[in-house]
Amino acid sequence: MFITKKALARRTFLRGAGAAVALPFLDAMVPALAGAAKPAPIRAAWFYIPNGVDMRNWVIEQDGPLGQLPRILAPLEPIKNEVMMLSNLTANWGRPLLVGAGDHGRALSAYMTGSFVSRSVTDLKLGVSADQIIANAIGNKTKLPSLEIGLEETRQAGNCDNGYSCAYAYNISWKTETQPLPPVSDPRSLFERLFGTDIVEAPADRARRLSMRRSILDTVMGSAQDLQSNLGTVDRRKLDEYLTSVRQVETQVQKAESEGMIIDPGMEKPFGVPPDFGGYFELMTDMMLLAFQTDMTRVATVMVGREGSNRPYPELGIPDSHHPITHHKKNPVLLEKISAINTYHVSLFSKFIQKMKATKEGDSNLLDNSMICYGAGLSDGDTHLHDELPTLLVGRGGGNFLKPGRQITFQRETPVTNLFATMAQRMGVRAEHVGDSTGTLKEVSLS
Amino acid sequence: MKFHLLLLAGAGVALAQTPASPTFESAVKPVLTKSCGTCHNSADLAGDLNLSQYPANTLVDSAKDLWTLVASKVRTGSMPPPDAPASARPSADEIKSFVSYLTSEIDRLDRAAKPNPGRTVARRLNRVEYRNAVRDILGVHYQTEVEFPSDDSSFGFDNVGEALTVSPVLIEKYMYAAERIARIAVGGDPLPKPALVEERRRAKRLTVGSTQAVDSVDYGAEYVLRTWVAGDLGPMGKPVMLEVSVDGKVVKTVEIPTAQTETTRVAATTQRINEEVRVYLPAGQHTFFARLVGEQFDRPIPRPTGRGGGAGGGFGARPAPSIFPETFDLHGPFAPTTMVPANPLISCDVATGAACVEKIITPLARRAFRRQPEPKEVATLVGIANRARTAGYSPLQSLQFAIQGMLVSPQFLFRIEKDPAPGEVAQISENELAQRLSFFLWSSVPDEQLLKLAEDKKLRAPGELDRQVKRMISDPRAESFAKNFTGQWLEIRTLDAVKPDVTKFPTWNADLKEDMETETRMFFEAVLKENKPITDFIDGKYTYLNDRLATHYGIEGVTGTNFRKVDLTTDQRGGVLSHASVLTVTSYPARTSAVLRGKFILDNVLGTPPPPPPANVPALDEDAVGKTGSLRQQMEKHRSAAICASCHSRMDPLGFGLENYNPIGQWRTKDGEFPLEIGGTLPNGKQFDTPAKLRTLLRNDDLKDFTRNLSEKMLTYSVGRGVDGSDRPFIKEIVDKMEQSEYRFQTLIESIVHSLPFQARRGDTTAATVAKAGE
Repeated sequence: MFITKKALARRTFLRGAGAAVALPFLDAMVPALAGAAKPAPIRAAWFYIPNGVDMRNWVIEQDGPLGQLPRILAPLEPIKNEVMMLSNLTANWGRPLLVGAGDHGRALSAYMTGSFVSRSVTDLKLGVSADQIIANAIGNKTKLPSLEIGLEETRQAGNCDNGYSCAYAYNISWKTETQPLPPVSDPRSLFERLFGTDIVEAPADRARRLSMRRSILDTVMGSAQDLQSNLGTVDRRKLDEYLTSVRQVETQVQKAESEGMIIDPGMEKPFGVPPDFGGYFELMTDMMLLAFQTDMTRVATVMVGREGSNRPYPELGIPDSHHPITHHKKNPVLLEKISAINTYHVSLFSKFIQKMKATKEGDSNLLDNSMICYGAGLSDGDTHLHDELPTLLVGRGGGNFLKPGRQITFQRETPVTNLFATMAQRMGVRAEHVGDSTGTLKEVSLS
Repeated sequence: MKFHLLLLAGAGVALAQTPASPTFESAVKPVLTKSCGTCHNSADLAGDLNLSQYPANTLVDSAKDLWTLVASKVRTGSMPPPDAPASARPSADEIKSFVSYLTSEIDRLDRAAKPNPGRTVARRLNRVEYRNAVRDILGVHYQTEVEFPSDDSSFGFDNVGEALTVSPVLIEKYMYAAERIARIAVGGDPLPKPALVEERRRAKRLTVGSTQAVDSVDYGAEYVLRTWVAGDLGPMGKPVMLEVSVDGKVVKTVEIPTAQTETTRVAATTQRINEEVRVYLPAGQHTFFARLVGEQFDRPIPRPTGRGGGAGGGFGARPAPSIFPETFDLHGPFAPTTMVPANPLISCDVATGAACVEKIITPLARRAFRRQPEPKEVATLVGIANRARTAGYSPLQSLQFAIQGMLVSPQFLFRIEKDPAPGEVAQISENELAQRLSFFLWSSVPDEQLLKLAEDKKLRAPGELDRQVKRMISDPRAESFAKNFTGQWLEIRTLDAVKPDVTKFPTWNADLKEDMETETRMFFEAVLKENKPITDFIDGKYTYLNDRLATHYGIEGVTGTNFRKVDLTTDQRGGVLSHASVLTVTSYPARTSAVLRGKFILDNVLGTPPPPPPANVPALDEDAVGKTGSLRQQMEKHRSAAICASCHSRMDPLGFGLENYNPIGQWRTKDGEFPLEIGGTLPNGKQFDTPAKLRTLLRNDDLKDFTRNLSEKMLTYSVGRGVDGSDRPFIKEIVDKMEQSEYRFQTLIESIVHSLPFQARRGDTTAATVAKAGE
């Protein structure tokens, strides 16, 4: 019994190098979608970039068709006809207003909620984020109502940002005003969320196990209800969070039962976090792509970094922490580093959307049926500006709803949540408001 | 006027009518007029604060917190700011009487107020508590830090109820974890097809020729353990003995070749061979160890010399030939071929039915729920097992499902305390007290002794609490307390997130990082277990080192990988502010930061955090540091902006006091090409120019602040909520006790445990509950 060294080499590769996944061809595995008469579902996703960008290398003067792209956006050149640049959007609640410092904590948490960020000592309180407004409405159509991905696996100890709870700096998605959804940052953990932990079970065994799981979830819901009757307000809310979460998992189990089929992910279970950021980004977004492709979910957020991220980028020759560099004080050396990091992120994103485009879906492709927002809650990270936000909208939102390949500059102070409200509406969600939104952006679908 | 003030302040105490006794008019008003009112007036409203109006009745309950802050600012010299004119500067005597009058008045008001122990919100077990609980209840080691999403923290700690939210992802993880934990604990599932066992393990090289790895298996079965040996001893290498052990027992000894093969030489690759042995492993965690036999292999691993080969990372000459066990593989599970030891958890024959399941699950539920489970709760768990039986699962598997149900039930996952009537203060039950103790000192569930004492209502018997605290502190489980508390109070956990620039600091690696954590944890444990004074945190002249960390510090005479106590004989180091862990987490990857370090001292040592920087402050030109001038020159430029000066005049000198330590905590005497200037002058005029003098200063002048701060952090950690103004009298009481007992650390723990916030809670007064009251 002498196993070849090849086995080790392969494993080391998967574990160490992060295994850029060769995307399998899943047409055969998704009978529900392939060739079906009904239109493909529309997906919405957000990529959040921390610490603002070097706007000098982002801004385009002219509205209309995209010409020569500025430096940071240059990696999008091959796919620029799918990209819409939306300028002048604002995230007002990220601003200090009467509250003072804590711009980073607020920039992230106010971005998708369009809400005031409470610094109260006793309560976490925010708003429901755009992705969750959608997931709460249509999430029951898919196995997972939404997917939250993070690309920063470690945390700082101590206080987060000037007295704001760390919950605000680390979570972009909020299911309710008080319930943040932690992003999954471990590749194996994400894999198991999507494809389960028991791929090898025989169908009958699997069905039996799923039914036991459902029964256990049912039982503990009963216990929680019993406990709840005697509690104070906050304690009751905690149990409520527990109950709704258990209920959602129960629904997931039910769906898995009714599908009765196991999706073969066509990739090996990953182990550990790839040491290079590019590999990590690719591995995690590949899995997200798989989740979209197999219609496991239609809503996703990706935190490329937490707001205030201190990740260094040695692969770019930048051993310094990201956040302090962004306090650049117009120093050209620092601005250069910021541009390099921004460009790197866009190049990874560009690869991802090119894969989306290459993924066939009926007569169309996955990108055509998606709306992917790429942006930040800060424009200039030095002075913490929360307006003129760098914002891209990629894809066509199904049925050529979006008309990409150009720039639209909006009136100053247009809430970025107006964009999210537009996306929610396209997803079939009739939300009155997304946080502080004042309407929708009709321009995105007018050519 | 004096009479007027006393009346309004609601004082019922007759004041001795000596002319010397200070009043608001004599002690506070002159300073407000002379020093504060120029900026803090109704027009300028600096810091949103108006101190130009000072009716004596402002010093009442509702303004206590504000006056506490004002007193603290004046006492520490943060106010008036450095750019204030000399005429506005209060004299030392004025400061003294200003501060002492305010402090004693606030204290008097505090004592007159109704004590408020606060309310702790229902707390979900965090990752560490869950891991420890499962270890203590079922003996299963489950890596929650890998499997569960991170917990959010508030007030600097991740056991604060409010921030411990629940999400569907977490419930998914809990379901899966419970399934696996039950499987490991009971062993009822059939063996799956043998395969490579994949775990996120890290093989750790201990000496030149030995390596260890910790790994766990889900099934008690036989496995093929493969040991990989990497390297060679050149073409002439002589065979050596390889010895492999599992959990301390040698399982294989074999001679292996070490001669470099022609293929390896030509291909210039690392030569690898492996050796296999088939062993029975009970389900759970195991330690694998392999060593090459021979004196030359027992030596410590040589430190990387010089720089790691420059930008391209290429190596020059081939390093001296070496060979060592590199890592392990596990392949399995295979059906056991020998007798398997009985599982002590299975105390009866589960095939006989529900009665046996009940017999097994009841004591488990008592540990998991931290109290005697109600018959209905037991019936619910047994019911799960029954349903599994009906579905065709084996008796053992059915028991697993019952345990799974127990581990995802809210009674296990949440610590919920019974609320007194709205607004009323009541002692928590003995059982709740036992839980507060065990989660405070062990980050885990109470053990049998605590549970029994609580059930017999003896935990509050005279002397018992102190006895228990002593016992718990000396228990190995207290390591969790040391690790969690230092990890967060001193921000040591951030070591996992920092990435020092390895081109500048080539000795930085995962092992060194772990050593740094270990030093601080062991130091904390020593102060705790040996009941040393908390001043040791500031300037204790000893620490805990192994060879690698000692070399890092330039301390000679420490050999081997084991940590041991080392007396510090020079002025270079002493106390936690000279630990590499603290110095690294307060640095940027490529350089130190006096601001980060100064802020760290204000936040975590003195508990006088600077207010957040105002919006649109011009930032420090970080990149010019070490190139166009020393960090200090840059900082001074920055500080000359008046808006920054009030905080930085205090923060920066403190940070500069640690400039002798580089970004990974090594001693240095230069910063780039610039000589270091250490320390500076604090707003109160005190000066220092070495780290040692800074430590002396902190110890002599700021001991009270340090003690208060540590007490506040400890209270936050122990009751799981933020500390506010209503805790001030409790904190003062603790600090007083500390002063009377030579600042012994165990006095702090005992005082916390006896304090009202730890012993009691106040009923919820929000409308929703008031309406429901009456039960």
